[in-house]
Parts: sequence; structure tokens; C-alpha cells
Amino acid sequence: MSTARVLTLIAAFAAFATSSAAQTPVTDGETASMPRTKTGSDVQPVMDQAIFAHVLFNEFEGRWNGSNSEFRWDGQGWVGTDYDRLWIKSEGTLQGNGTLEDGQQQFLYDRAITTYFDLQGGLRSDIDSRPTRNWAAFGIQGLAPYFFDLEVTGFVSGEGHLAAKLEASYDLLITQRLILQPQLELNVYSKADPARLVGAGFSDIDTGLRLRYEFNRKFAPYLGVVYEGRFGQTANFARQAGESTGDFRFVFGIRAWF
Amino acid sequence: MKAFAPPLALTRRRFMQGAVAAGALSFVPRSLRTALAAPAPVLSGTEFQLEIGAVPVTINGRQTTATGVNGQVPAPILRWREGDTLTLAVTNRLSEPSSIHWHGVRTPSAMDGVPGLSFSGIAPGETFVYHFPVHQSGTYWYHSHSMFQEQTGLYGAIVIEPKGGYAQAFDRDYVVLLSDWSFEPPERIVSNLKFQSDYYNYGQRTLGTFLDDAQRKGLADTVADRLEWGKMRMSPTDILDVSGATYTYLINGHGPGANWTALFRPGERVRLRFINGSSMSIFDVRIDGLPMTVVQADGNDVAPVTVDEFRISVAETYDVLVRPTADRAYTISAQAEDRTGYARGTLAPRPSMAAAIPPMDPRPMRTMADMGMGSMQQGSMPGMSHGPMQGMAMDHGSMSAMSSMEASPEAKKLQGSVGVDNLAMVPTERLQSAGEGFPPGRRVLSYVDLRALKPGSDPRPPSHEITLHLTGNMERFIWGFDGKKFSEAGPIELKRGDRVRFVLINDTMMEHPIHLHGLWSELDNGHGEFRPYKHTINVKPGERLSYLVTADEPGRWAFHCHLLYHMETGMFREVHVA
Amino acid sequence: MIARLYRPFVMSLVLVSPIACASSEPTSAEQNAAVPLGVDLGGSGPVLASAQPQAPAEAMLVSAQAAAPQHSGEMQMAHAGQNDAHGTGTVNSVDPTQHKINLSHQPIPEIGWPAMTMEFPVAPSIDLKGIKPGTRVNFTIEQGQGGMYEIKAIAPAGGGR
Repeated sequence: MSTARVLTLIAAFAAFATSSAAQTPVTDGETASMPRTKTGSDVQPVMDQAIFAHVLFNEFEGRWNGSNSEFRWDGQGWVGTDYDRLWIKSEGTLQGNGTLEDGQQQFLYDRAITTYFDLQGGLRSDIDSRPTRNWAAFGIQGLAPYFFDLEVTGFVSGEGHLAAKLEASYDLLITQRLILQPQLELNVYSKADPARLVGAGFSDIDTGLRLRYEFNRKFAPYLGVVYEGRFGQTANFARQAGESTGDFRFVFGIRAWF
Repeated sequence: MKAFAPPLALTRRRFMQGAVAAGALSFVPRSLRTALAAPAPVLSGTEFQLEIGAVPVTINGRQTTATGVNGQVPAPILRWREGDTLTLAVTNRLSEPSSIHWHGVRTPSAMDGVPGLSFSGIAPGETFVYHFPVHQSGTYWYHSHSMFQEQTGLYGAIVIEPKGGYAQAFDRDYVVLLSDWSFEPPERIVSNLKFQSDYYNYGQRTLGTFLDDAQRKGLADTVADRLEWGKMRMSPTDILDVSGATYTYLINGHGPGANWTALFRPGERVRLRFINGSSMSIFDVRIDGLPMTVVQADGNDVAPVTVDEFRISVAETYDVLVRPTADRAYTISAQAEDRTGYARGTLAPRPSMAAAIPPMDPRPMRTMADMGMGSMQQGSMPGMSHGPMQGMAMDHGSMSAMSSMEASPEAKKLQGSVGVDNLAMVPTERLQSAGEGFPPGRRVLSYVDLRALKPGSDPRPPSHEITLHLTGNMERFIWGFDGKKFSEAGPIELKRGDRVRFVLINDTMMEHPIHLHGLWSELDNGHGEFRPYKHTINVKPGERLSYLVTADEPGRWAFHCHLLYHMETGMFREVHVA
Repeated sequence: MIARLYRPFVMSLVLVSPIACASSEPTSAEQNAAVPLGVDLGGSGPVLASAQPQAPAEAMLVSAQAAAPQHSGEMQMAHAGQNDAHGTGTVNSVDPTQHKINLSHQPIPEIGWPAMTMEFPVAPSIDLKGIKPGTRVNFTIEQGQGGMYEIKAIAPAGGGR
């Protein structure tokens, strides 16, 4: 039932999105050679509506707090043209004991609306070792003044619960290849979800400082420290479950894209 | 990832000299073996057979595959004569469509070689026969107009002998075709730029440069400067989108270590036909110890002007005369504008001589004038603080409060749109500036130095003006005119016989060499009827310039920025002369 | 990609190409093939009658001081080019109406020519009366517009006969 409502919301958004989407002839800008040209008048002098695809792993790291370790990933991928893209976001933390936590997966349609920002909408699925939840997602993503990377997304669940997520990061160049990246992720929920150890209000924060070295642009190992914090009701749930409410961890990982 | 070595180190690298010499002439397609005993570097006459194909080459000792003509990269020098009628049969032996455009040569539009406008391209295996008369003389070039083949090697020189003789005497004559070569496939270069537009910029501002600037200018000034640029989400270190981080710069197809040499006898006058046949690189050319006298620009005679250095943008040509009198070698160096590499050759009395390679000049930085904030400082030095601008609020939102900085209504519509990241509030007329990055004391060519030898052939004033904004969004790597890509805009319509003024306003902070096919662009540079005839005009960041066009040849003409990856991501229009 | 397809061929070609190219090296003044040499397209030949004799202007110095254009005088119209080569040979025949000479000449290393027998147009100012078939001559040729070599000086060799 609730899933059906979520899907209806998404379908409505998708209909709006496709009607406003620019025409995109399917031409592959990523791989080489043949534009799919027919004869005569279909040939274009330049193919400026090419489709590109990229995947980025911002976090792909082992986290260690002195007593236990976990593995976390946070990545995104998109395929599309300058204006219209299909976007996937995925994050999750794998605990030492094998449980998967904080598994947020988003499947979005992305539309470029201003010089620096895109509008996104679609589906978020919390898929991990805890009960699955589905949400409709709406948000913006882009580059804020002073070169802050910003993602702000709001969510509505089938039962009408609201949530929001803020992600921000900044790249400080120490040298041309040594880059310090402060990063922040913040989650807010309107209603508690005990099965997922999530409380109402400001729920959790995942923030870190990572120092990476870019051997090349697409491959950069990094070291850093992160703080995983839980607030308010979420902190209560965590304590009851025997989990920590605030954790500093050392991280080592690879930032990669292709 | 190629680490960039300082200039002197390159000459100590061991290069496969023989293979480099062979590199330009490596592979003769089987079908041509019978026709050619050896690949000919110069083809002359009135009938030509050109075969486009994949050519294995060696560049800087590394083997790769390029796109060549008749087994050569660069393609053979075509030597024509003014007044002849030519027949050129071009066969495409690639597995993708191809084309050849005769850059700067006025042909009927069906012979111009632009797929989608002139014809539908040359399909794999097909032969297209170009046939047209030549009514001009000078140095030109030819290149593919299909996808990224121009980047992978399909470019060559055209030398058209004048009917009545040259305006100045000379004893030797060499083509100097500058280009850029990457071992990365061009599709990947664009893809990289789409994801991270500063991918190839290893000259960015860092903590190190912040501390340097703070030491020189003071902490407050430096912080204010960083905030100023940061608020705009721009970087003053954006000089060239694709740099020496991936490019090897070539002179006639040879890397800097190959020591391509042009021979002379001391006292002789040597003509050097410089052609920028690169895809994305603007070069600053000089011959250390030898002044150059510029006698032609874009194939047309200009009043001779002596310079120490000139900046040649993509697709431009400059013919210079030099007169080396000493029995020594001279280094011809063409530095990339962002100083991430250079092409290098030698002028020498005997082969195997080399002169010292001068160190590269300091890297230029963009200024607030380049952002279109007005020409507060002309010719500012790299790293100079924008003193007078400190007091002004650089917030675009408050821009409209300053009456002198009011954007035009049509420009206001573009603000904030996906294809536009900046608007030049006060575009400046600065043809007299040679550009940024030249040390003081050097005579550098600027556009006002170009004065045609004879007055223009159409004395009419323009009947109307067409204003175009050169726009782009660096972050998304989208480029266009008036905020729109080619696929989002219609053609520019002209009537046959029209005399029109094109006004270009560069809202971006990069140079754009704008090329109009088929018709001459007569640059308004203060010389009245002796304005120079050009085919490619380099518009500087934040600049406003204009040129006159007589639409005397009907057809659908391409009009575009000649930076290949800008063109392919939208900076292209059709000019339709009906 | 094309690169992968051709990789097997490239290795063999690297071995073959220096051999192929050694035999097909474009003619150059000196025989050193290690350094790539530019192809000399030749001299300008006779220049435009209306060519401007004045000195070239100078570009402004970059420090924005307007330097008075300095007169270099080097680019003034001068006598014909010095793109000439010298040779020795024997006259086979003289054609006074067409003003041409047919010669058998020795190799001319300056321009990479082997010994040949060929016909040359002769510069109009040269008097052909003293040149008889069978005469051994020293001559100077110059490449004109369009690539043709023309005799611009000729004299009997070794004091004549």
C-alpha cells in the first residue's frame, strides 16, 4: 500500500520530467567512433547532445576506531546529456560482524536547472540489514559559492513521514595533487523509526576530514578521520542497542572515478 | 599520468631519432604502394589523390595510431597556384565517416567539407571529389571536420603561390605547422572535462600560492582576492582547457626533442609559414635572438611589422620573414599559453645543430578585466593584485546597482541559465593588447598591428549588425553562443550581397578563435579600409570586437569556435547566405 | 579502438619503416637523416612590381610604452634571391629562340642532384652567343617561382677553349 503511493508519486514526477526533457538523440559521447548518422539531412556538423556516463566513489574506506573496524562506501553514478540524467546514489556501512547499516540507495532523475545546480527527483530505498524503507526523493545538487559541493534532498515516505539529508564537502588544494577534503552528512527525520534505530529530529551526522593524493585525477588514496555521531532520540535507540553514540575513527580509502 | 618535466630535461631524453624521422612517414597503405614509391611530403599540381587512413606513428619515442593522409601525419603540404582549378579525390579508409575542410580557402559551399552543411561527409570506403577554382594566395591549412579526427592527426598545410609574385623577396620557405597530440582518445578527453572541467589544470591555486601571495600582497588582500573569485566559482588559473598534462606539442608532427630543423645560409631571408593546426592550444611563438617580420596573416598580405613574439590562436596563420645573419642555430619555440609545454624547432645552417631552449615565460593569470569587469588595468602582470577593484562589491546581484555595470536586457535573460556562467558587464575593446603572459620589453604582435596591404574590395558600410555573445559554463563544460548550444539554436540568416557587421562579446574568461567559413571576416581594428582580412579571429576574455562580412558566396556556412572541444559541445552555428 | 587493432602491425612496421624510409628519404641538402629537416619550398622569385619598399613597422613593447618604430631597412626590395646552386657541366645544345640550354652536368650536392642531362631556361639578361655545344661551363642556377630552376650565370670553365 505505502509502496504503491510512493511509486505513484514517482510516476507523477517522472511524467513531469520527461515532458520537460530536451530531445536527446542517442549518440554516445563516451566511446569512440561512429555517430549514428543516417543519410543526408540527418548528419549534424557537431554532436553536442552526446550522452556521457560517470561513476564516482567519494568514500570507499576502512574505518577503525581502535577496537573495531567497519567498511563504508558512498558513491554516485550518472548517465545522460547536459540537461537530463539518470542518477544513482549509494551508501552503506558494513560492520565487522557482517551487518549492513545506513544503506541508503537513491535512484533519481536529474535535470540541470541553473548554472550550477540540478534538480533531482526519484526514489530512495533504505536497503540494509534493517527493515527496508522506501521514500520519494526531491532535492538539488550542485556547486555552491566558494566551491562547496552541496546536496540537499527531502524525502517523503508512503506513510507521510518526512526526512531530509544534507551533504557538503570542500576540496582544499594543499598542492596540485595533495587535497584536503572536509565533508559532512546530516540526516533529519520527522518521525522515529525504532526498527531502524532512527529517532525524530536531527538524527545522525557523519563528518570527516580526508587527505588524498591524486596519482591521477581518477585514482586517489586517502587517509583521514571521521566522526559518526547520533543525536537525540537516535542516540537513545543506539544506547539501548548497545551501540555507540559518538565515534571517532581513522579511515583509509580510495577516491576513484571513471 | 605524464609528469611534466622542466624544459631542459626534455632535451636530455633519449629519443628514437630514426623512428621519429620515420614517424611522419611510417605506413603506406597497401593500395597506394603502387602509386607512391615513397610518401611525398609536398604535393603540387591541379589533380590530387588523398587517402585518409589510420597511420601508426611514433611521437616522443612512443608508438601510437594517428589519423593521417597518404600515410602521413601531418598530411602532405598541398602546393597550389592562384588561378588554377583543382580536383582533389579524397578517399576515406577509416571505419567512420570523414571529411576534409580547406580552412580559409573560399570554395563553393558544396566543396567546403563540413558534414551536415556542405555535404553528408565521406562514408567509409567512399571517395569524394572536390572540384573548385582557387582565387586567392597565401598560407592556409586543411583538416577533418568530422568528430575528433582533427585531434588525432588529420591536418596539413596548404601553400598557394600568388599569381603576380610575392610582395617581399625571400630565399627559403618553410611550413611550420604547430599542433597538439594526446595519447588519450579525444572522446575520453571530453568525457573527463564533462565530469571535472579542471581535469587538466595542474596550475591551480593552492595553499602554497595563497601563502606566496599573502607574503607579497598582504593577508587581507589575498583573502579578499580568493573570496572574490570563489564567490563567482571561477578560477583565474583557467588558461587552456586541455594542457601539457596530456598534450605533447608538435612542430610539423615532431615533438620538442626531435629537433625539427629548417636550414638556411647566413644572410638569406627565410619565410616561415606558421600555422596553428592544434585542437585546443594557443601558442606564443618566438625565435630567441631573431626578430620576425610579419608579412601575412591568415593568408593575406599585411604591412610588414617586426616583432619579437606573436600569439597564434587555433586555426590562425602568420607568415613571417627572418634574416639570420650569424652562422649559428636559433631555437623556434612555441610555448602553450598556459606554459605547460612547448613545441620546438631549430633554424640552423647545418643539420644536427641546436641552440639553447629559452625557459618558458611565467604563466599568465586571468584578471577581472577578463571577467568583463572593465579594463582597470591594461596588460597586467601575472599575479598582480586587482587593486582598484577591491573596493567594489563583486556580487553579481548588486551589479545592477552600478549604472556603468548594467547588463543589457538580452544578456540579463542569460544570467543563471545552464549554459552561462558569467556575463561580461563591461566588455572592453582591447585589440591593442597582445594578451596576458608576456614579459615587459618584448615586442608582441597585437591585432592593431595588422594593416592590409591593399584596401578592402567592398567599400560599403554595413547595413546591419549581428551581435553574438560567446558564452559557456566551465563547470558543466558547455559552450555556445548567446547561452545556447548549436542544437538549441537556429541558423543566422544573411541575404546574398549583404554587408553586415558581426559584433562578438566574449562573456567567458577564455580566448575563443572564432572562424567563419566561406566568407572573409574584415576585422575592425582602426585601419579603416585597410582592415585585415581574416578567417579566424581570436576574441580575448571579456573583449568586445567587431568585423565586417560581405555575404558574397551563397550556401550554408559553419561559424564556430575553433577550439575543438568547445565546438563539439555546442559552440557552433550555421550562417546561411541565401 | 583502432590502436588495439593496429598494435600487432605497429611492431613489425617499426622494424620495416626505417628501412623503407631510408630508401625514400626526401632529398635534402645534407645527408644526415637523424634530425628531421624541413622541406624548403624555394625562394620567392621575382617580386610584385608594386611591392612596398618602406621599412616594416614594429609592434609595441609589451610594457605599454609606445616605442618609436625603428628602421631596420632589411626588408626593402632587394636584388633577386640567393637560393642558388652551382654546378659544372658540358653544353649539349643551345636554343636561342627559346633562350634555353641543354646540359650534362655533374652532381650538385647543394640541392641533392645527381649527375643529369637536362634543359634549363636561361635568365633573359644572359647573352648566349659565347656558349657553344661541347663547351665545358660553370653555371649558377636559381629556383624560381613554381619550382623551376633557371640559369642565372654561366661562363666557360677553366679559362675556356
